[in-house]
Amino acid sequence: MKTELEAIQAEALEALKDVNSLDTLESLRIAYFGRKGKLTDVMKGMGQLSNEERPIIGKLGNEVRAALTEAFEAAKNALESQQQEQQLEAESIDITLPGRKPAYGKAHPVMQTLERIEAIFMQMGFQVVTGPEVETEHYNFDALNTPSDHPARDLHDTFYLTDGHLLRTHNSPVQIRAMENQKPPVRIIVPGKAYRVDYDVSHTPMFHQVEGLLVDRHVPFSELKGVLVSFARQMFGDQTQMRFRPHFFPFTEPSAEMDISCTVCLGKGCRSCGHTGWIEILGAGAVDPEVFRAVNYDPEEVTGFAFGMGVERIANLQFRIPDIRTFYENDLRFLHQF
Amino acid sequence: MNVTQNWLKTYIDFDFSPDELAERLTMLGIEVESVKQLGAALEGVLIGKVDSIRPHPNADKLVLCQVNIGETNALQIVCGAPNVYEGMFAPVATIGTALPTGIIIKRAKLRGEESHGMLCSEKELGISDEAAGLMELSSDLSIGSPLTEALGLDDVIFELEITPNRPDCLSMIGVAREIRAETGNDLKLPQVDLQESEANVQGITSVTIDAPELCPRYAARIIQGVKVGESPAWLKQRLESIGVGVINNIVDITNFVLMEYGQPLHAFDYHKLTENRIVVRRAAENEQIKTLDEEEHNLTPDMLVIADAEKPVALAGIMGGYDSEITETTCDVLLESANFQPSSVRATAKKLGIHTEASYRFERGADPEAVIPALDRAAQLIAELAGGTLCEGVIDVYPGRREPLQIQLRAERVNFILGTTLETSEIEQILSRLGFDVEASQSEENIYQITVPSFRGDITREIDLIEEIARVHGYDNIPTALPKGDIPIPAPNISAEVHRRIRHFLLGSGMMESVNYSFCHPNCFDKIRLAADNPLRNTLKLRNPLSPEMSVLRTTLLPSLLENAQHNHNHQIDNIALFELSTVFIQGAEPARVAGILAGEIGEGVYGNPYRSPDFFDIKGAVEGILDICGTTDYVFKKTEDSTFHPGRNAEVLLENRRIGILGEAHPKVLESYELPYKAYLFELDLEALADAADFSKRFEPIPIYPSVLRDLAIVVDQEMQSDMPIEIIYSTGGKLVESVRLFDVYVGDQVPENKKSLAYTITYHSATETLTDKAVNDLHNKVVKRLNQELGAELRM
Repeated sequence: MKTELEAIQAEALEALKDVNSLDTLESLRIAYFGRKGKLTDVMKGMGQLSNEERPIIGKLGNEVRAALTEAFEAAKNALESQQQEQQLEAESIDITLPGRKPAYGKAHPVMQTLERIEAIFMQMGFQVVTGPEVETEHYNFDALNTPSDHPARDLHDTFYLTDGHLLRTHNSPVQIRAMENQKPPVRIIVPGKAYRVDYDVSHTPMFHQVEGLLVDRHVPFSELKGVLVSFARQMFGDQTQMRFRPHFFPFTEPSAEMDISCTVCLGKGCRSCGHTGWIEILGAGAVDPEVFRAVNYDPEEVTGFAFGMGVERIANLQFRIPDIRTFYENDLRFLHQF
Repeated sequence: MNVTQNWLKTYIDFDFSPDELAERLTMLGIEVESVKQLGAALEGVLIGKVDSIRPHPNADKLVLCQVNIGETNALQIVCGAPNVYEGMFAPVATIGTALPTGIIIKRAKLRGEESHGMLCSEKELGISDEAAGLMELSSDLSIGSPLTEALGLDDVIFELEITPNRPDCLSMIGVAREIRAETGNDLKLPQVDLQESEANVQGITSVTIDAPELCPRYAARIIQGVKVGESPAWLKQRLESIGVGVINNIVDITNFVLMEYGQPLHAFDYHKLTENRIVVRRAAENEQIKTLDEEEHNLTPDMLVIADAEKPVALAGIMGGYDSEITETTCDVLLESANFQPSSVRATAKKLGIHTEASYRFERGADPEAVIPALDRAAQLIAELAGGTLCEGVIDVYPGRREPLQIQLRAERVNFILGTTLETSEIEQILSRLGFDVEASQSEENIYQITVPSFRGDITREIDLIEEIARVHGYDNIPTALPKGDIPIPAPNISAEVHRRIRHFLLGSGMMESVNYSFCHPNCFDKIRLAADNPLRNTLKLRNPLSPEMSVLRTTLLPSLLENAQHNHNHQIDNIALFELSTVFIQGAEPARVAGILAGEIGEGVYGNPYRSPDFFDIKGAVEGILDICGTTDYVFKKTEDSTFHPGRNAEVLLENRRIGILGEAHPKVLESYELPYKAYLFELDLEALADAADFSKRFEPIPIYPSVLRDLAIVVDQEMQSDMPIEIIYSTGGKLVESVRLFDVYVGDQVPENKKSLAYTITYHSATETLTDKAVNDLHNKVVKRLNQELGAELRM
């Protein structure tokens, strides 16, 4: 019986080598371990053995069974892995097929720029305030030290309404309204739409401005420079050069315009900057005492500064759109670019 | 305004390069928009003298010239011009010169003879169209010197932008004064030395000012026996260099002095003035004048005219009259130099639509003290250049004479306002160089009494002086500091928060942000089929619109979005998903709205994410999302009547029983108006109402500990029944034990009887206090089914 058991083991191990599917493995398992299996048959003969032989053969039988079971298990695992690999291989896909993107919209490029500008000033403690776009002569001009016969009114081609109102030509009226409603300190920015009679590649009749106002007991011109330099650094980058030039606005004195080094030629001079190397980005100045008087602030008690910038202009320093009217066509091929 | 370097240098010395001068002026507040080297294109062109000429051995029409350009050896130049002769002075383009015509001069052999340059015609130099022969130059020019110098083309033109507060800079002397602020050099004003005749002006003419409120000063001189003709070359060249047209010597002189002093002058033909006298008065009603440009104008009494004894002969400060202008036959000239009230000139010029160099200056304010120097300067030039004799004396009527303005300046205030640490000596120097008279106060330290020169009408206050100090000191020299004051605490702003959240939600939902003009065409209300009495038609109208398309202010955002869809469809872009957040304009208010449009195709149109047409429930979902994002729950959608929308596919949104907006499928006729070949879904909501109802407060609710039980329920109901009616019954039956009800299927077809539909819901039962038993759920579910049957006639679908 011993030789028989050893022969079965050798034979079974040899047969296992040729097994290449789980089905044949199962048949083979039944051929040895099944109720009528070879190993089962041999072990059935145990009862006829002598008492001396039985434990020896019994032990051998168990050893053979254990070895074969292990060998069958190993073969099964190998076959299963193999089969899974085959299956995975069969499941392989063309990963160049398009992804299923979640839908997402894009903010309008002018609004993207406006948001950036707002964020920078909000970090510096400016509060966002808004106000009406249909205005009176008083808020748009008179309270801003621009009486009706002032030549500075020529700078603003104003849209008038048939009811005597006008469309604000700048966001400055909101500064007046804010000062009327609150005591200093005032630290606000006013984002929003403004309107001027102008329609060409660099002007749209409606445009966006961000105006700012800071009023307190003592706000010198040096702080105007500090805030705007800080803004320009964050908006245009650390490498940007800046300069302030004297200018004229009826509602500020001293008045300034701020230039940054041309974003196209980096200051070397090119067509975009009229070969000066500089690009004007905003107007600013110390609040004129007349403006303070118009809102019942005492110009001997408070000082401050105001500034204003065109959002389309700033946006276009980056985007370089040849005709800025394109902003308001809302062509989806355009909107998707930003 | 244009100024030239050479012209400026006659009034002040400076040795800035053109670019440096441009930079200095710009940093003083006189922005230089361009710097142009006048003769830049003629570099390399020299004055040459044709020493000798001999025939070309191989060509009949060419000659060989020996041309002297001031070097040891004369150049041999082959020339074919018919007018060349020995001894002629002509321009020579030397080897290497790039002419304005694009020709680059190279050493060449013409029919076998060497040519070392080119003798040029005016056309070849780009000076004129004269191409018949060589440009003949005066023989007193220096041989070998650059042509540009000889012709006065070695000048630099600066184009300046003068801000409206600085009329004093609208002249050469004015700009020279600004340069003085930079350099401290003295001004070199024209020396006027008048040779007057015996005849006194008083006996020859008179000036009466009837409207002194509009004419602070009027001065006149008479020059007799002038000969009107061409101006000398230097005068023409000056005017042409800054783009002023040349007319005749008298007019050219008035223009020259205008540019020099900034004081407009006018020359009348003395004999064409009735009674040879001047009356400055308001125009009579319906009076007329024909101006120099041969235009007829009807005048009104608010307009100031210069008249003779009978009729207006000039529009004061704007333009002279045609009938009294200087002509070739003019013999005696009455020369006017006056000052007019700015707003009156401005109003008249605007009303009549005439804008001249004179009106430009008077509108902004001319210097009344420049009246006499400019008059004398022009009188002298006329006498010199037009050969007349100047009558003795000047008529000077000056009802508006004013004492020079004095302003107190506190040195401390200067540094307080600017954030600087300027010394008083620096302040004094800056103001003195600008022409201010600076006197220190006797009684108080660091207080100055500043006398403002007459040409600086813009300086009336201490702050104006501070600005002057700042700009001459240099804005770049003012320190940079961050604000030291307190940061005010802002009030909470719910509207802004609602705006922000909705915008981000819509962007996240795949809609693109659109921004449209606030203007629209009044016919857009017809296009969206608003009833004739719809209040949205009550628009604010522009008095001066750019076009009918932009003539009224929009009261709704929907037409703009439909136009956007149309624009995109016309450009073959048909996946339209746009929204806009903006104010609209109704009488007396500017409420904010949010609106959106879905049309054409949504999705990406790629394998795995094909295009599909949007439907009502896409737009409804967007609106539901907005309501959710605002934290509102008390809202319902209710079918309504609105002619913009498909009558069966629209809804108004009621939030806390208040109508806050509308949504639905655009009416086919609306689609037709916007030429859209597919359906479009729109919504528009009132942001203010959303802000009123918005609730951003959040409170923790325990995560359920007991399991939920899900039951599906399919019922058959009448086809027109709204799907939310069963839901209400389910909730009211189940009370707190119904956690949610979800409609997951709607079926109409063979499986249900005609005019019926099947609605399938998943009901989630849940108790916060125990695990629901099957029995409890079944009992409740059966109760639900029963009520649905009793109240809605709903049959269970088997």
